[in-house]
Amino acid sequence: MLKKTTVQKLSDLAAGLMEKGALIAPVREEAGHNFREISDPAAVDLDFYNTLLSPKSVFFPHTEDFIRYKTGASIAEAVCVEPDIRPTVLFGVRPCDVKSFEIMDIHFTGTGKVDPYWAKRREAATIFGYAFDPNTPADPADFYSTLGIGAADPEGSDVFMIRKDQDLLLQAVSPKGEKLLSELPSLSDASADDQKYFDGTVAAGRTFKTRFTCVEAEPIAKKFEDLFHNAAFWEKVSEACLSCGACTFVCPTCYCFDICDETLFSQGTRRRVWDSCMFTDFTLEASGHNPRTKVYQRLRQKISHKYSYHIRKYGPISCVGCGRCTRNCPVNIDIFSIVNEAMKA
Amino acid sequence: MSFEPKILGIACNWCTYTGADLAGTTRLQYPQNLRVVRVMCSSRINPSFIFKAFQLGADGVLVGGCHPGDCHYNTGNLYARRRLAVTKKILEFSGMEPGRFRVEWISASEGNKFAEVVREFTEEIRNLGPQTKFKIS
Amino acid sequence: MATSFKQIEENLKTEAGKLLDAGKVSMVLAYGRGYDEKHPLPYVARSLADVDGMVFNEYCTANLARYLVRYPRGTKIGIAAKAADSRAVIQLIQEDKVKRDDLVILGIPVYGMKNAKTDEAIDAKTTCGLYNPVIYDVLLGEEVHGQPVLSPYEVLEKVEAMGQDERFAFWKKELDRCIRCYACRKACPMCYCDPCFIDQNKPKWGEKSPETGGNLMYHLTRFHHLAGRCIDCGECSRACPVDIPLYLFHKKVAKECEEMFGQAAGMSIDEKPALINFRVEDSDKILE
Repeated sequence: MLKKTTVQKLSDLAAGLMEKGALIAPVREEAGHNFREISDPAAVDLDFYNTLLSPKSVFFPHTEDFIRYKTGASIAEAVCVEPDIRPTVLFGVRPCDVKSFEIMDIHFTGTGKVDPYWAKRREAATIFGYAFDPNTPADPADFYSTLGIGAADPEGSDVFMIRKDQDLLLQAVSPKGEKLLSELPSLSDASADDQKYFDGTVAAGRTFKTRFTCVEAEPIAKKFEDLFHNAAFWEKVSEACLSCGACTFVCPTCYCFDICDETLFSQGTRRRVWDSCMFTDFTLEASGHNPRTKVYQRLRQKISHKYSYHIRKYGPISCVGCGRCTRNCPVNIDIFSIVNEAMKA
Repeated sequence: MSFEPKILGIACNWCTYTGADLAGTTRLQYPQNLRVVRVMCSSRINPSFIFKAFQLGADGVLVGGCHPGDCHYNTGNLYARRRLAVTKKILEFSGMEPGRFRVEWISASEGNKFAEVVREFTEEIRNLGPQTKFKIS
Repeated sequence: MATSFKQIEENLKTEAGKLLDAGKVSMVLAYGRGYDEKHPLPYVARSLADVDGMVFNEYCTANLARYLVRYPRGTKIGIAAKAADSRAVIQLIQEDKVKRDDLVILGIPVYGMKNAKTDEAIDAKTTCGLYNPVIYDVLLGEEVHGQPVLSPYEVLEKVEAMGQDERFAFWKKELDRCIRCYACRKACPMCYCDPCFIDQNKPKWGEKSPETGGNLMYHLTRFHHLAGRCIDCGECSRACPVDIPLYLFHKKVAKECEEMFGQAAGMSIDEKPALINFRVEDSDKILE
């Protein structure tokens, strides 16, 4: 079922979706577009290349409260914070970011232990994927095609959207998406021409090339295992690295967090807060020992985790080539250039 | 209910704190809104103390040290003067009302001045009203 | 007439080559190729063969003084330094983090640097606005003269003119965006503390979560720690993924310090940083 609307009528669509639940969509902000919960349907803006921050925060917020307690009081008085789970529409997610949810699912639900916060939010969400335009070149930092992700892959979305000039074509991908689309009065039926355009774009997206050629996971995983003890290599590639957390915080597949107790006078909150393997104190042990004190050790961990350990443990590369880490690195370090260099080393 | 300001006082051990003692032993009256913390020298004050105090709900912060030249450690308050001047500018530029932070040199013999400064500062903070900008709720 | 970027790159390669060849330094900190022209990387050349990898263009904005403290004391280092970068080197020498004798400063006089993210010119609006290095051993081009010398503090007027409430709302809006990636402190040549106060647990100065309270504590204290030391290179703001105009606050503190203490950071290796110094005749007026 292919439906359509126009970009001019986007706010009608947004208003319709807001009746179904919370709408989280890209809005224009000072530093770029970001996914935010929408209160004004006119704020939804699809004129973006990709969002500054990844959409992972929709399912895995930067800060999430678990328990509230009073210091000095009995543990029996501590209360669990019930997560705020509502039907949600996540609107305008690029195909590489949709792919990232699948990778994150492995960690939060796929290994036998289920993180209820992630799982419930994920279940309550309907994802509207949004194709890159295969007729304009990709951002120089992107490399999703290298990892086998197309510019217009509908897989993983519930509804997939492709822009055709001033029209927005919406294709239901899952039964959940189908049901939702049929309930939106602002949409009209698309023509056979539109269907042809849609299918053509999906096909064009699969042959669309970002920089770098396709890679296979297995040889990379092996290479990084071999390189682990090659400190000279890692020192060389990490020489520019500042060891800040910008790359990990904008990354759609970084999932490390810290459990913090934050107190204000006697009111305590146990919460989960994003953490970054690039921080010195990430591996600091209670004894004072720190197994990763050097920048190269931390960068090695980050890259090997995504391109080696992850493949060995779970199968896929833990990277979707969205290019955010590269775009936001203060010193322009490019993760895939390092992978390339490693393969040559 | 009328507003009673909560004021953090940070006083150096040798001059201002002793001055406060003198104010007490001479039975001088001054408002109870000041809670005093004693430090060994005004230069021991980490500017983060002041930011933190405001975050925890202080309506004003009063720092007291020895008069320049009288520091027990000779030069501590001379460093403190520069540092606290910067603190003041930072608070002001961040949007905090400048009147909420004050530095006074009060010697051990100036019990009168101590009481006077506390009276004056408390009134000033009372006029400014509750501090809500930095306060974490 | 300023020396062209291409010419500076050539001079940089020649001078770095000479230093490495003669064994005067064990490494030269410069810029190398990134994933494209617009995104050069900080680069370390350790041998003559490495020199070929150097580049210099209008996007080589990173302040390389940041890397000086990473190497053991006594390492002989050559460093390519633009105007603000050279001030950072001076400041680090003042703070005894590096020794003047261990450094060979390859000064780069340059006009027309650009921010790769916005393509805007980098000038007195976001940096100190100097064109020529303050200190150097070798100058890699002709000194820049005849370009407008603008006050680095003019940009403050708008924020200074705000009322207290408006200014607080302005900073709250900006700082609330902070995601606490700490790119600002890591890009800063003067932020070399390990551990940083905000990472401490006992006492815990600010919370780890990116919320108003912790963000305010982190940034205000960082502004304070950089008082009289910030050399206004603007790296913190360029490094920030969410574009918080940190340079505005740093500029304001630098301006006040200059007015109160009569010295700007990183201008002479014979000075002491303003806040670890005092004069008996400092006026109490600064506290008003």
